[in-house]
Amino acid sequence: MSEYLVEMRGIKKSFGRVQALKGVDFWVKRNEIVGLLGDNGAGKSTLIKILVGYYRPDEGEIYFEGRKVSFKSPWDSRKLGIETVYQDLALVNLMPIWRNFFLGREVMKGPFGTLDVKRMKKITIEALKDIGIFVRSPDETVAFLSGGERQAIAIARAIHFGAKLLILDEPTAALSVGETQRVLEHILEAKRRGIAVIFITHNIYHVYEVADRFVLLEKGEKIGDLEKSETTPEKIMEIIAASSVGTMSR
Amino acid sequence: MIRFPLMKELGAIVGIVVFFILFSVLSDRFLSMDNLASIFTMASELGIVAIGITLLMISGEFDLSVGSVYAVVPMAMAILINKGQPDVIALIISLLLGASLGLLNGIVTLKTGIPSFITTLGTMMFWRGILLAVTGGFPIMLERNSRVLNIFGGSIAGGLRYSGVWFIILAIVFWIILERTRYGNWVFATGGNLGAAKALGIPTDRVKIVNFIISSLLAGLAGITTFGRFKIVDPTLGQGMELEAIASAVIGGTLLSGGFGSVLGTFIGAFMIGMVRSGLVLAGAPAYWYRAFIGVILIVAAIINARIRKKVAG
Repeated sequence: MSEYLVEMRGIKKSFGRVQALKGVDFWVKRNEIVGLLGDNGAGKSTLIKILVGYYRPDEGEIYFEGRKVSFKSPWDSRKLGIETVYQDLALVNLMPIWRNFFLGREVMKGPFGTLDVKRMKKITIEALKDIGIFVRSPDETVAFLSGGERQAIAIARAIHFGAKLLILDEPTAALSVGETQRVLEHILEAKRRGIAVIFITHNIYHVYEVADRFVLLEKGEKIGDLEKSETTPEKIMEIIAASSVGTMSR
Repeated sequence: MIRFPLMKELGAIVGIVVFFILFSVLSDRFLSMDNLASIFTMASELGIVAIGITLLMISGEFDLSVGSVYAVVPMAMAILINKGQPDVIALIISLLLGASLGLLNGIVTLKTGIPSFITTLGTMMFWRGILLAVTGGFPIMLERNSRVLNIFGGSIAGGLRYSGVWFIILAIVFWIILERTRYGNWVFATGGNLGAAKALGIPTDRVKIVNFIISSLLAGLAGITTFGRFKIVDPTLGQGMELEAIASAVIGGTLLSGGFGSVLGTFIGAFMIGMVRSGLVLAGAPAYWYRAFIGVILIVAAIINARIRKKVAG
């Protein structure tokens, strides 16, 4: 079995005349938490969206568990165990928690394939309790929950459905200090269950505590790939700052 | 937080009870079997259209062409039957025509990215124009009796018509589809947060196209029930109906912006409009007042429903 869960080689992608990725190599080992860092527009989201099949790369290859893959839609990658939690695209606010939890993976019963509502509600509550989240009712709409609770539900969903790789897009961006801490704990809980995590952020201090390795992107290129043991938050900040000063005329 | 069943439809339920009592007091004839049956028929013909609109609106799209489809489909059926086609063949071809008009709305909207409001405003005018051009503006009368047509709009007994049966069956079927199937879950997600639905792998384009087809198909079916009642199709049939259908859905609590709504609410909304139409006439108000009154109800209903939604869904 390959040591690498995900390997992306020489990924290039352009949107019109903008070259968003200029040949990036990126990998995630099994059970590893990788912090993917970079400024806005560095290419972090594009790289991830290519990985999950939201976009197709212009050039480059992607391997998942050692096998070459070519996802046509996020559904393909989800089936193989890649679960993404986007900042604003994780949950549908107007829908109840249980419907969100099972969205795209509904449990059916009977000859007509109607929803097994009771069972789904029960599983939702249990799965949330399992990673230490308590909600008042599975019927509650997501709009009533805090930002941290929403992240937690999305993470619990990924864990419950047996994700091998969990991708979190700026999971702590809009959260209070206390809520950030709780989300970090959920991420460590995911790791304890054998899940690899990609943590996208532009705030090194949020990810430093939990990540094993840091990948730095800038202007569509990889400018750093560092194990936690060989770096500090300050060093990482310096690399990013130096690179953006070098290329920008601001 | 207070929680009980039918919370979504609360506004529409209270509204219909209030109007029912009001019109019963204003006119003795309101509660007559004849009148109730005629309200039921009016509500059914409108409501079948509104059910399709509701599904489409929940998935975040819009259909203004239903009024035109409501006329095109029975017109096609009338022409086919008059040309000597068997009833069933005429029925199937005209319903297929209805479905393909919906497919066209869906493909144009999703492939070009223009708002469905514009697409269907265009097809609404286009099909109405075609209808007037083909018929020269004259109604087409059915030249022979049609058993098949009776199953859609003929009378059962005591003024009740088959359109009412269709309305109830379709309301139940689409309530189940929306609330109790995986497809319904996808419809809510597509309209509620398109990006999230896509990211979770929901085939949102397919959901929308299917809903455009359903909307058109039901509009055509409703048109056939009206055809079955009159045995004649006027090329201006259903003008303005798209707005009444949207009004039914909004009164019933469906959000114009998508992601929230209820078939049961729409069912009640369509009834309310039918009831107001007949109630005002029986109460002695000139027929013109009806539209003005519906306008007021629509706005009041939207305000009340927005408040309720904040309570139940944030």
